[in-house]
Amino acid sequence: MPDILGIILWPFRWVIEALLVGFHTALTALGMNPGDGWTWVLSIVGLVLVVRAALIPIFVRQIKSQRKMLEVAPELQRIQAKYKGKRDQFSREAMTRETMALYGKHGTSPFSSCIPLIAQMPVFFGLFTTLSNAAMGLKGIGLMDLDLATNFGKATIFGSAPLHSAMSTANGNMAVIWVAGVMVVAMTASQFFTQRQIMAKNISQATKESATYRQQQVLLYILPLVFLFSGFAFPLGVMMYWLVSNFWTMGQQFVVIRNMPTPGSEAYAAWEARQLKRNERKGISAPVVEEAPEEPKQAQRQQPVGKNRAKRGKGKK
Amino acid sequence: MCDHLFLVPRNLFVGFILGWRRAISPIYGNVCRYYPSCSAYGLGAVQQFGVLRGGVMTGWRIIRCNPWARGGIDDVPARMDGNFPLSRHGFVLPKKKEH
Repeated sequence: MPDILGIILWPFRWVIEALLVGFHTALTALGMNPGDGWTWVLSIVGLVLVVRAALIPIFVRQIKSQRKMLEVAPELQRIQAKYKGKRDQFSREAMTRETMALYGKHGTSPFSSCIPLIAQMPVFFGLFTTLSNAAMGLKGIGLMDLDLATNFGKATIFGSAPLHSAMSTANGNMAVIWVAGVMVVAMTASQFFTQRQIMAKNISQATKESATYRQQQVLLYILPLVFLFSGFAFPLGVMMYWLVSNFWTMGQQFVVIRNMPTPGSEAYAAWEARQLKRNERKGISAPVVEEAPEEPKQAQRQQPVGKNRAKRGKGKK
Repeated sequence: MCDHLFLVPRNLFVGFILGWRRAISPIYGNVCRYYPSCSAYGLGAVQQFGVLRGGVMTGWRIIRCNPWARGGIDDVPARMDGNFPLSRHGFVLPKKKEH
């Protein structure tokens, strides 16, 4: 059987090597020591910056598709009212189905889609392969020649923590265990902060009332375990990629919450207030749009009552 | 017996997807723009169409699940010759022979 994964990863590995070597050469030219682990760490940071910058369009598109969520809110409430109090699996599934059909009809969705989730995976595993091959003294498949590979494979930070070792392969090397431990804590903290930030400020009231939101909140408490496991299994160099990528997400989220908040959220109200103030300063009076709250419709159809029955009913009272 | 052997590869993958849905999916929560979600679609596709065809269907679905996609309902198509019956846990059983 051909190595399908290897074939898929090949172009990613080539580009990763090219970027790492490019940044490493540039940093060396700027006067950094080519054998120093930190030069390689900064090269990994460079790799993150390039990859995440390339992913910005996906992210922007994602936010834009969430903007129309406010339009579907009334219909969403109707569905929620229809299934109110129905907790059995069948009704839950029917409700999810109807909700998703509604999103599809309007071409909006609170969900980010599956591709962004796996878009970084080949980069992650490509870096993993590049690093472990370098640690074994193998030259790369592209621009990383034997000298650079050996150099990368031997690179250490804090004196004795090699970039290619993980907690599981530390063999009692305390420097590795400490660095990995600190990174796990930093990753957990950044992830936690990002999620909290989104949940506290950038979620519309309609989403807050959904079941998925509650499920998402439970995640906050599972993630540290995931990071602990990865700190155990993945080498420091790969963890470094992940950590910096997490920081990028945090910064990106901050900008988004400030400048492109989800309509109907707390951050959106703050953004509107800022816009209003700015307009006042410029002397533009913004038209005030007021929306009348819609009367909740009854989910159950009123049974038609015949003339005679209606009369009888009155008579009894 | 022979029918069961024919279904072994897909049932191995069904086991893998069921494990994924139990252990990995909860980590990132609901992100899919479609209903059923990509992993549920993958499960259904492998159950009914096997590892190769179901696998390709799943891959194509994941590629379609991007921020430019409209999303909405996207069910696994039914088999022309009738779907395979499933066990309580979701594993594929041979079709009942018609007498």
